[in-house]
Amino acid sequence: MPLLEIKNAKLKLDDKDILKGLSLSVNSGEVHAIMGPNGSGKSTLSYMLAGRDGYELESGEVFLEGQSLSDMEADKRARSGLFLAFQYPVELPGVGGMSFLREAVNSRRKFLGEEELDHLAFVKEARKVASKMFVKDEMLKRAVNVGFSGGEKKRFEILQMAMLMPKVSILDETDSGLDVDALKIVSDGVNEQRNEENAIVVITHYQRLLDYIVPDFVHILSDGNIIKSGGPELALEVEKNGYVGLINAA
Amino acid sequence: MLHNVRDNYIISVKDHVSQFEEKSFRKLASNDFKSWPSPREETWRLSRLGVLSRKEITPITPNFKKQISSVSKFNGSKIIRFVDGAFREDLSSKLPPGSSLNILGEEDSLRCFHKFKDSNLKDHPSTNVSFSCTPSIVKLTIEKDVKIRDLFEIIYEGGDDDSSVHPALYIELKDKSSITIIERFNHLSSLIMPLQLVELKKNASINSLKIFNDNQHSYNLSANCTFLSEKSNYNSFSLIKGGLFTRSETHAYLKGENCNLNLNGVYLSSKNQHHDLTTAIYHDVPNCTSKQIVRGVLGGKSTGVFQGKVRVAPDAQKTDGQQMSKAILLSENAIANAKPELEIYADDVICAHGATVGEIEDDQLFYLKSRGISEKKAKQILITAFLKDIINESVTESMQNFVFEEAELALSEIISKEI
Ligand SMILES: Nc1ncnc2c1ncn2[C@@H]1O[C@H](COP(=O)(O)OP(=O)(O)OP(=O)(O)O)[C@@H](O)[C@H]1O
Ligand SMILES: [Mg+2]
Repeated sequence: MPLLEIKNAKLKLDDKDILKGLSLSVNSGEVHAIMGPNGSGKSTLSYMLAGRDGYELESGEVFLEGQSLSDMEADKRARSGLFLAFQYPVELPGVGGMSFLREAVNSRRKFLGEEELDHLAFVKEARKVASKMFVKDEMLKRAVNVGFSGGEKKRFEILQMAMLMPKVSILDETDSGLDVDALKIVSDGVNEQRNEENAIVVITHYQRLLDYIVPDFVHILSDGNIIKSGGPELALEVEKNGYVGLINAA
Repeated sequence: MLHNVRDNYIISVKDHVSQFEEKSFRKLASNDFKSWPSPREETWRLSRLGVLSRKEITPITPNFKKQISSVSKFNGSKIIRFVDGAFREDLSSKLPPGSSLNILGEEDSLRCFHKFKDSNLKDHPSTNVSFSCTPSIVKLTIEKDVKIRDLFEIIYEGGDDDSSVHPALYIELKDKSSITIIERFNHLSSLIMPLQLVELKKNASINSLKIFNDNQHSYNLSANCTFLSEKSNYNSFSLIKGGLFTRSETHAYLKGENCNLNLNGVYLSSKNQHHDLTTAIYHDVPNCTSKQIVRGVLGGKSTGVFQGKVRVAPDAQKTDGQQMSKAILLSENAIANAKPELEIYADDVICAHGATVGEIEDDQLFYLKSRGISEKKAKQILITAFLKDIINESVTESMQNFVFEEAELALSEIISKEI
């Protein structure tokens, strides 16, 4: 059974067709990359998967470990093991990073039937993961994403991913806004979490990221549909010839 | 002819002052109390007092033997108690050197009365009624150069059903003095009309915290008139959570250059409560700053009002006046009104204002939910943050936890009903 299965997903926003019958199957242990022009529907797909209000499917279905997501709220999806690293992480003025992380992690742990972490144990764990991601302790004390630089926000997303240990992670342009060193740090962070039990979907515009996070499959999303799938070489083709040739050929 | 019920309270106020001389400030004040403000008056349009004119209320005669019920919330604070609107020396602390409390005589009371009557609070019902009916005007003086380290905790309580209470406090801070005062309003009365006059002399500085938490059937019409001299500093925060109808109205006159005013507040409203923060800031001289941040959280069928007037006189160049209000509605039946009013007659000024009324931000809520946090918990986190933010910005560090806990009690009441 695939970890994540999208069957013929159709979705409208404001009466406009955005996803037009998209299907994708992701098995455990796999990394999939989705590339596609601006406005092709990549973030829409990720919001739909995460369960954002207003992004309900018009038709089609999505399964996480065989369980239909259609009636599942965003919070339950997350607790069940779905994670979305946002293209544009949201600022939460007044919400401290540490308590936010703890609330999130304990929600997930409770779902998994694990014991919730007390304050001290949690802080220790968070600091450990943060140091791997080169996220300074000081950043965890600040309000979530408030005043973070673009790169810091992305690192904080991956830090959350590391702490939540999701089954399926969708990384929406996590590489954009990262400098070369940060790209390496974030990629290492992601690679470290790769295992046979989980799966990762990376949405990106740049082949460069895929040198670090080497995908098993690459898909080209255009105008609400996957028009071509292949191996890592497909990303190189995009890099060389752009999307135009691929789209015309499809 | 039967007299109109509307006049009942007016008559009982006049009865109350009948024993005084024609020229006493009480008589003068009662002469000016001819009616409750009509909803046609601009500043009372959003906060109507119609119900009061149909209620049977009489000004209270203070009971000096009454049992008190509010305990101090701070270790080692200097307590000043008002019961039934009357100062109770027997229940108050001995004050530290450089500070004193006095009951004003007729002449000083008259002077105090005129200060109010010369301000734009002259027609406020509390001005006329409370000057008529207050047991006495109490003056707190902080002497020159005295920096009071003790926290002054003023507790107002007492009152009865169908009665009105009229505490009147005059605070004078002489040159270079400073103090932190917390005032807690815990009345049981139907109608509460506190008067406060604050005078800050040169370089004086006050931190003022007010917690309005009167009985759930009460009307509180608080009127505060403040004068700031050169380089003085008035930092005030009000938390309105109690009462059926609470309006805190503050008029601040910036009379000396380089003075600074913060008038922040939070209202937390549920059921059929009506909460109103009304302010008027008069920048009469150059180089002063004023800032107001007001936030509200509303549930049930409650209503919230923020009216903020900033007037910058033609000479008041280099004024910096900021005003920001934001309300979050947790129920479809709650209403929040914000009415900023800028009158700027000087040209070299920075004045900004903004007002928003809305629900919790969708994208913030989704972000939290996408991390596995339930909707209920997520809302709670966001509202708590919304309040913590302004409390931390407005209140001195040692008081932040106290204020936040006071807010949280009211907040959990609202949240438990709405989400
Ligand atoms: N609320 C909305 N109503 C109508 N159209 C919308 C709405 N939100 C997004 N769209 C449109 O949906 C399309 C897909 O947007 P989406 O954000 O999914 O693109 P994307 O592939 O992530 O692009 P990018 O590479 O720029 O991030 C765009 O044409 C966008 O304008
Ligand atoms: Mg996108």
